[in-house]
Amino acid sequence: MNQDFQLKLQAYLDGELTERDTREVEAVLAGDPEARALLTELRNTTDALADFETDLKLPETRDFFWSKIQRQIQRQDTLAERPTPVPFWRRLLIPTGAFAVLVLVGWIGFKSFGPASDTEAAVVETFLTDAGAMTYRDEVEGMTVVWLSYPAENEFAEFE
Amino acid sequence: MSERALTASEDEPLVKAAQRGDMEAYEQLVAKHRDKIYARAYSMMRNEDDAIDLSQEAWVKGWQRLVQFQGESSFATWMTRIVINLCLDQLRKQKRHRTESIEMMDEESGGVERQMPVVTVNPTERLERAELRQRIDKALGQLSETHRTALVLCEFEGLEYKEIAQAMHCSIGTVMSRLFYARRKLAALLADLKKTE
Amino acid sequence: MMRPWSSTMRLACLALAFLIVTALAAPVRAGELKLEAILIWGTDDEKSPDPKHKAVDSRLAKKLKKMPFKWRNYFEVNRVKFNLAEDQTQKIELSKECKIKVRNLGKSTVEIYFFGKGELVSKISQSLTKDECLVTGGNAANLTAWFVMLRQVD
Repeated sequence: MNQDFQLKLQAYLDGELTERDTREVEAVLAGDPEARALLTELRNTTDALADFETDLKLPETRDFFWSKIQRQIQRQDTLAERPTPVPFWRRLLIPTGAFAVLVLVGWIGFKSFGPASDTEAAVVETFLTDAGAMTYRDEVEGMTVVWLSYPAENEFAEFE
Repeated sequence: MSERALTASEDEPLVKAAQRGDMEAYEQLVAKHRDKIYARAYSMMRNEDDAIDLSQEAWVKGWQRLVQFQGESSFATWMTRIVINLCLDQLRKQKRHRTESIEMMDEESGGVERQMPVVTVNPTERLERAELRQRIDKALGQLSETHRTALVLCEFEGLEYKEIAQAMHCSIGTVMSRLFYARRKLAALLADLKKTE
Repeated sequence: MMRPWSSTMRLACLALAFLIVTALAAPVRAGELKLEAILIWGTDDEKSPDPKHKAVDSRLAKKLKKMPFKWRNYFEVNRVKFNLAEDQTQKIELSKECKIKVRNLGKSTVEIYFFGKGELVSKISQSLTKDECLVTGGNAANLTAWFVMLRQVD
């Protein structure tokens, strides 16, 4: 039995063979006791492993295990909500002199950063008959929502 | 309805509630499936502390990703996939700091398993379940990580060869070789353990 | 004892500050925006009939659930990333029936045109700084909704 066939035998056990290869393996098995013995060994191993994990129990009490998960979830949620930390480059600039920064930044044109400005309201125009728009603003989420109201049966309401 | 289908359908209302942010519902899911997730992690890592930590991490990740769960598989299967991926990442990290085992070199140079005599004794015969479990536990511990991973993914997780290949970042041929080696080695170890008793 | 900074040290720090600020002021091209448009379907159904649609990721889901709308589930239909230089316009096809045209007006302001089946539905102009997102939505069939989220990405 060469290695190729041995691996095919394994694949036969795992249901990974094509129909053609399955027939080929079954033909060999019918006439080769060594092949049958190897298949039996492989099958026995699979059978022995079948229930192995069933008896494995997590060695911590329900409450204790859950309390750790809960704490970690709450910690992650807190981190997600925390305001963005001051970027590294800004902290580095502070000790080098705020005045120097202002002069340099003014020279190259600070407009690309812009002052921290309030977001201007969205300007909305609609073009469908009987259509309207409502704007909703969530400052905390930094989200502007524009809801275009028109009958749901209109042609725009399809995805595909 | 099969037991598995029953469990999956029992989970559905809890999953839906948890997806709406009901943490109590999620806690019930954790209580229900924690042993299974831990067992999978333990099979992969062979270390109780690592298995506890990784299964805990899997549950936290499960909560974060719960909205993405759409019921294509059972909730338990979805969770075991999360814990398996965490275990694989951890094993990869650990591997970077370790040299390859002799077994890996054997396997790569090819053929040790071909020369093992066929084991004719059925290890499940005449053994109490607890004793069999102990023997398997010991034998699994003697496999290399790579071989054990291939075995766990095939035998316990039920992945196809191509899925195992993707998870282990290797070819299907390599998966087949590793699996074959692992099974033959395990059979030999179980037979040896039985002999020495 | 701490020594006062020498003039050489001060000059070095100024030079460093100048380098950092110039590097940050012009990442790729001045005024260019790196944008992402996501087409989202809002529904009370647990699953989308199209298996390709995945539930939006948890961060996005959290954001969407804060909107004053009633839908329980949001599915990502399509996501397109694109760069837009200042004064440039780009047409994006989010689905067969849902197309948008985005124009970069400069100073992180965009103009978005929404097209449905080839017809112009609406035009929205909005300042879109890095932490901002613009969500436009409307009714869809069977009491569901469509949304297009536009935002700057890194």
